[in-house]
Amino acid sequence: MVATETRQEQGGYAHAEVLVSTEWVAQHLNDPKVRIVESDEDILLYDVGHIPGAVKLDWHTDLQDPVERDFIDKAGFEALMSRVGISNDTTVVFYGDKNNWYACYTFWLFKYYGHEDCRVMDGGRAKWEAEGRPFTKDVPSYPPTTYKAKDPDPKIRAFRDDVMAMLQSGKIEAGQAALVDVRSPQEYSGEVIHMIGYPQEGAQRAGHVKGARNIPWGKAANPDGTFKSPEELRALYESEGITPDKEVIAYCRIGERSSHTWFVLTYLLGYPNVRNYDGSWTEWGSMVNVPIEKNV
Amino acid sequence: MDRQAFIEHILDHYEHPRNRGRLEDATVQLGGGNPGCGDLITIYLKIGPDDRIERATFEGEGCTISQAGGSIITEMIEGMTLDEVKALGTQTMIEEMGEEVVKSRVRCATLALGTAQAAIDEYRKSRDRAEVSAATDRAETPSS
Repeated sequence: MVATETRQEQGGYAHAEVLVSTEWVAQHLNDPKVRIVESDEDILLYDVGHIPGAVKLDWHTDLQDPVERDFIDKAGFEALMSRVGISNDTTVVFYGDKNNWYACYTFWLFKYYGHEDCRVMDGGRAKWEAEGRPFTKDVPSYPPTTYKAKDPDPKIRAFRDDVMAMLQSGKIEAGQAALVDVRSPQEYSGEVIHMIGYPQEGAQRAGHVKGARNIPWGKAANPDGTFKSPEELRALYESEGITPDKEVIAYCRIGERSSHTWFVLTYLLGYPNVRNYDGSWTEWGSMVNVPIEKNV
Repeated sequence: MDRQAFIEHILDHYEHPRNRGRLEDATVQLGGGNPGCGDLITIYLKIGPDDRIERATFEGEGCTISQAGGSIITEMIEGMTLDEVKALGTQTMIEEMGEEVVKSRVRCATLALGTAQAAIDEYRKSRDRAEVSAATDRAETPSS
């Protein structure tokens, strides 16, 4: 693990060590203990140019099982780590486009398989580019590793039965649990099934899980893609009843936007019990006999 | 082409776009976009008297696939008749950009084509309105 002189002048985050600056990354480009990973929503951005030495992990082709709707399994994750030259003790720094949207998704999957030292480059690709830092098209090759993944961590992933159990437990009404829907207000209200401008498909019904609060994921980021301050983040979530004393499940459409919120709640605010429901609306909105609320 | 060849084809159009820029003497121009993912395209068409596309250009910003699509489609439709452009479909762009690469980004891949086709609809509507207006004027003008 790389020593944590990760600056964090911004301080105040619960686990500030997971957030590194562009300058920190620039200083560790040739550090053999550090592997930089780019994960983007725009699947070809890496090919346009990337941080020198960075490897690409495509959320669709690298992280998903090609047949079942699930992530790659433990053996698949180990093989992937070997392919990109990541060892169990590697410090992995994630970055990407659009406020580190998919970078946080990949971070979450690494944590799911128990990778110890994961960081996110604050501001992501946009900040690196805005600062005039170098990009390259050279695709690096690293020696394969022998990686041993841990068993999946059920404490950070929720399945549909977990959401149903939360609803039926009465904990939401009792103020002991909370569901946070991080999609756009239009998706939450049931006006649309997917973000405006995207194909309106993937779920049979529109609306949100009964009892969920709506805090769009992007509200956690500043216009330059960096995360908002701890004070701003606390105000954002606590004002909607998403507090650290509760058991929290975040969801969106397929679990990628909600992994960003999961990261914010878990690492920046230090909430102890947050899970990401990656089945999300494309699953819940297609199931029979589940509670849905609609505001239109 | 294999997946990598399609990626290189797309990136070539993204990094070296053909026909990028405003067309001052355009017959019609129209903007389109995918607001959810921030892709924007404006298509400019200069249409000849024989209903052929004499010149097509685009401006825009957004993801690699949407902007490469602007370059690809403006290059493709120059010289085509309006009906030929209208006959193009999603499959055209999938074949140009590779199904494996764009299957999760079809909306981005077809943004420029859809905008060009909408621009043609706009042009035809405008032309029809002008013809009706001219006919009305002729009917209302007393013969000498």
